[in-house]
Amino acid sequence: MSIAEIEAREVGLDAPSGLWHDAWRRLRRNPGAIAGFVLVGLFVTVAVFAPIIATHGPREQNLSLLQGTCCPGPSADYFFGVDPLGRDLFSRVVYGARYSLVIGVVSVAVGLSIGALIGAAAGYLGGWVDSVLMRLMDIMLSIPGLLLAIGIVAALGPGLYQIMIAVGVVNIPIFARLLRGSILAQRENDFVLAARAVGVRRHRILFSHILPNAISPVIVQGTLAMATAIIDVAGLGFLGLGPQDPATPEWGTMLSDVNDYLQTAPWLAIVPGIAIVLSVLGFNLIGDGLREALDPKLRGRTGKFRERSRLSYLGVGRRKAVSGV
Amino acid sequence: MLKFVVRRLLLLIPILLGLSILVFFWIRALPGGPAEALLGERATEESIEQINQQYGLDKPVYVQYWSYIKTTASGDLGTSITTRRAVTDELKQRFPATIELTIAAMTFAILFGIPLGFFAAKRYGTATDHASLVLSLLGVSIPVFFLAILLKYVFAVKLGLLPTVGRISATIDLEHPTNFYLLDALLAGDMDAFWDVSKHMILPAIALGSIPLAITARITRASVLDVQNEDYVRTARAKGLSPRVVDERHVFRNALLPIVTIVGLQAGLLLSGAVLTETVFAWPGMGTWLVDAIRARNFPVLQGGILFVSFIFVIINLFVDVTYALINPRIRVS
Repeated sequence: MSIAEIEAREVGLDAPSGLWHDAWRRLRRNPGAIAGFVLVGLFVTVAVFAPIIATHGPREQNLSLLQGTCCPGPSADYFFGVDPLGRDLFSRVVYGARYSLVIGVVSVAVGLSIGALIGAAAGYLGGWVDSVLMRLMDIMLSIPGLLLAIGIVAALGPGLYQIMIAVGVVNIPIFARLLRGSILAQRENDFVLAARAVGVRRHRILFSHILPNAISPVIVQGTLAMATAIIDVAGLGFLGLGPQDPATPEWGTMLSDVNDYLQTAPWLAIVPGIAIVLSVLGFNLIGDGLREALDPKLRGRTGKFRERSRLSYLGVGRRKAVSGV
Repeated sequence: MLKFVVRRLLLLIPILLGLSILVFFWIRALPGGPAEALLGERATEESIEQINQQYGLDKPVYVQYWSYIKTTASGDLGTSITTRRAVTDELKQRFPATIELTIAAMTFAILFGIPLGFFAAKRYGTATDHASLVLSLLGVSIPVFFLAILLKYVFAVKLGLLPTVGRISATIDLEHPTNFYLLDALLAGDMDAFWDVSKHMILPAIALGSIPLAITARITRASVLDVQNEDYVRTARAKGLSPRVVDERHVFRNALLPIVTIVGLQAGLLLSGAVLTETVFAWPGMGTWLVDAIRARNFPVLQGGILFVSFIFVIINLFVDVTYALINPRIRVS
């Protein structure tokens, strides 16, 4: 290693590597993010291989197990015990991962795609399009999230697809605002000016110059939105607005009727609840890790500056995050 | 400053107008149309006709919207299908219940969240710090209704320490002039009732306050860490002030700024969380009211309730913005 290289390293001027390569390197060093990947990996594996992992069918009832008392606790054959309808709780929780994963992915995809489209249009076109779209988003944001979702479910009727749409719609203004802000910041950059100066077309500037650079906060938000989507969907399920077939092994729905059994069979509430917490925790950990890894201001730095990124994400103390460097 | 407040107030107009349009069209987008939604399953062709005339649903949309605005602005939100009582009357009972719970939850969050974050920052990098980080991460990852169920199981079912449902024991007789039960008990000078109401409030308040607590602790920690490295803190230390004075006067006071904003921004989270918490503890507030309304397809209640909560939410956000502008002059100009 030459002296110049060593010096360069000391002042934090690594040879420029790609943002993604860099981000991945930092993500790998973050124990929290690793834990998140393990949790999410486990969650996805369980969801995909549910039929192999589950020991019983999720809807399979065996009422003979319920003789006398409700409900038999954990045993060798029924790892987490049996629910009041004689179904194996373990298998239901395993299959529940499928529902949560699909619901989470679909609702975030709905919110992200529509929100990103609106945000991109507003940010890039500007003018009255921007004003109209953003006021519309403000109105949607003026209704507390869960209430908006409840209103949508009330209009569409309860059900699995309905809650996916509801949670997706709640996410639309969040992504729209995020991408708009990000695009506005990118639009002022020199490389955009340069592209415009050499006569690159508008939509090409947007798609090949602005969007790729504006996308990283959206990825962070997308990961965190997975976490809140799982919580929100479970919440709607808990309120009885989810799948109307009570046999559906959706985690939130499974929690909705445990109140009567809290005295005799608390694990009926605890097991699906922990499943929700672990999967949400996984996405939160990855999201936090990504946020730290993708923040260009933090490239090549660790330690105290990582703490600052938390604040700057919330729009507080951004100035300090820069001046502290 | 006045200019900022006026501009922010003017911004309210399009938002409130848009909100009313949204709710207005929402009830018209319901399956079966508003008449059937209002009548529920008892709808016959005659009664639908009658409702259509009574509510002017046979008139053009803009006429309908105008009369809707007029009745809503005069404080008439319609009649509940299930109870046949005015929505505003029920609102007067339900809303204080939720606000009382929300205030208790927020108090809990601030009382514990700020010290937790402060001490975590003071012990940056130690086990205490890591523990607080893990705790706050868990706090944002746990669904509020699951936490509520867990608390109910441990403290009410297992230990039998606290009541599990409602706001007050059935055996206690209390007048409700304000519908804020704690206040009512104080007004009546009834300490037994006050104690009973408090006991009912502990678990729901902790359940609802835990997520705000986690967020408050996290922001406080980050904010204190930020301020600690400022030049003026170093100067204060250099001139020989005791660590306590530096912490109190220089670090904490300045670190409070972002905390204030974040605390205000929790309003939406709390209102959403209240719906779920109230369901677990059968708390007779806005949340259980709205959830029951969905199950019974009680649309006047849903319409009025959502409109009202959103209105309150918009007003709270206005206050947060103005407070923030008071604290941070830079906001006023932009």
